[in-house]
Amino acid sequence: MSQNTPNRFLRPETLTAIGLIVVAAGFLIPTAALRPLSALLPAAMLIALIVLGAMLLISDQREAAKGEPAAAMTKAPKRVLAAFALIALYALGVDFIGFYPATAISVPLVAFAFGYRHPLGLALSTLIVLSAIWLIFSFAMYQEFPTGRLWSL
Amino acid sequence: MYLDLLHALPHVLSLTNFLAVTIGVVAGIVVGALPGLSATMAISVLVPFTFGLEPLVALGLMAGIYNGAMYGGAIPAVLLRIPGTPAAVATTFDGYPMAQKGEGGFALQVAVVSSSIGGIASAFALMLLAPPLSKLTLLFGPAEVFWIAVFAMCSIIFMLGGNVVKGLISACFGVFVSVVGSDPIFGNDRYTFGYLELLDGINIVILLVGLYALPPVLDLLESPLKTDTANENLGTEPIWRTLPRMMRFWKTWLRGSLIGIWIGILPGAGGSMAAFMSYNEARRASKTPESWGHGEPEGVAAAEVANNADTASALIPALTLGIPGTSVAAVMLGGLLIHGLQPGPMLFRENPDIVFGFMWQFLFGAILLLFLGGSLATNSFAKLLKLPRPLLGSVIIVLMVIGVYSIHGRMFDVYLMLGFGAVGYVMDKLKFPLPPVVLGLILGAFAEENLRLSLRIGRGDWGILFANHTSQVLVALTIAVVFGPSLKRRYWDNRKSGAQG
Repeated sequence: MSQNTPNRFLRPETLTAIGLIVVAAGFLIPTAALRPLSALLPAAMLIALIVLGAMLLISDQREAAKGEPAAAMTKAPKRVLAAFALIALYALGVDFIGFYPATAISVPLVAFAFGYRHPLGLALSTLIVLSAIWLIFSFAMYQEFPTGRLWSL
Repeated sequence: MYLDLLHALPHVLSLTNFLAVTIGVVAGIVVGALPGLSATMAISVLVPFTFGLEPLVALGLMAGIYNGAMYGGAIPAVLLRIPGTPAAVATTFDGYPMAQKGEGGFALQVAVVSSSIGGIASAFALMLLAPPLSKLTLLFGPAEVFWIAVFAMCSIIFMLGGNVVKGLISACFGVFVSVVGSDPIFGNDRYTFGYLELLDGINIVILLVGLYALPPVLDLLESPLKTDTANENLGTEPIWRTLPRMMRFWKTWLRGSLIGIWIGILPGAGGSMAAFMSYNEARRASKTPESWGHGEPEGVAAAEVANNADTASALIPALTLGIPGTSVAAVMLGGLLIHGLQPGPMLFRENPDIVFGFMWQFLFGAILLLFLGGSLATNSFAKLLKLPRPLLGSVIIVLMVIGVYSIHGRMFDVYLMLGFGAVGYVMDKLKFPLPPVVLGLILGAFAEENLRLSLRIGRGDWGILFANHTSQVLVALTIAVVFGPSLKRRYWDNRKSGAQG
């Protein structure tokens, strides 16, 4: 995902176009089993996505042939991947160990991992966030949060 | 026609509604002041929390956020030369040089007064133009409604500028997402793959939070920690004392308001375009154009009045036809839908108190901005720039999860949101426009239902779609929107090459 990918087939737009064509073609399989009127709009959209994906692929490959650099995706791919992984882990944590424990771990962990290393600030902000959520959602709005699948085993 | 507008006023004047607008404006200023966060993102995160609220309270919050964020973007634009929102780019041109000269406080006061004036003008435009337009749309049957949906999608794709192929891909993706779930007529499952959670379709809020809230959070975490340091000395002269110095901007305010309203109505254009156009026009009309770019307060006034004047006006086509003028308006359409309010003529007939109340809330939001964004408050909001970004990112992640989980109380939606977030991030980075996705989701199911209804009425004859004059006009407008920009470009290219030859 760097700006000057040596392989022209690893350009972000090319990869996106290929992914789009493959996924849209894959969705056409269940579409074939639908009644004609029910399949009308989704089939039209999937075929359009395949055609448009092909157009995107061709235009990006033309640009690659001209030696034009690929569209930049991120400045720091590792940080983006780490951020996304931490968010996904947090969601899994909420699901498996419960909302409050997962949040108590996630808020300081994400902030710490991405550069905010002030211990008192981390502790205070976690406490404030958790108290505010409990007060607004659990106490005032009776909102129930996941208690964790692990504990119910 | 305007009687309903007056009838709605008492409904808005309740304490809760007023409080909602006030909280919205403050929250909007806070969000706008934080670079990387936008009104679109704030409203996307907020929408799920409004489920349990009265529709007017929820809409008041949204109206307040929209108004507040448009001004809030000026705070880092003036103090740091970092536009808090894309619409505040033009504010940096003269706002930052003013701050360097020690006039940061005055620049922000000009910004808040101009923003408020722009917002008030925009709210009046919404009040005056939306009701008659909604009457016109009462003439529409299923075929016309289908063409309206097609016209809306085409206009947002082709008038947005940029890559048309990417715009079309975005729209097709949105429409495809709208068909997931039970078929509205036959009742058979479509693309649910055995997941009962998908039977009712994909809730628009899940898509909104994924597309609009997750990418900015990843952006916040992508850059290494940097503490923004603004000049502490803003100058805290009361706003009433500086008002006489601003009165000379009246022509700029008037011109900028008209530009902002017009740009807001146009689908696909947005606050940044309005601000740039207003800035350029004001500079052209100025007697001292050489002072612009070096700390001319009128430059700040021109940019800020226009970027706030496009707020309520973007809702004119959104409320009457379901065509949002900006991405915030597209997200607001989602907010209306979750409260069971389908944009279009029936909205004005069935829920006049809500729709007209919403217009009043826009007006109150714009007026409140003047009081809440005053010098003392601005000094406090400026301190927000010191908030550590990683901490902010982690709190937004928690809010996103709470919001999406609370829709149906299930983790499936959270995982779905993360999936849309990943797609949204790639789309955002590769410059695929996001508003067509939202519009596709909103209008896709709507278009399909009306197309199939038309075909049933016409007993399978596709000619029914072109049978009456309104349909034909809408088809012609759609063709004009699709081919107009390229024909116009070709015409200007030919003229230019002719002049050179």
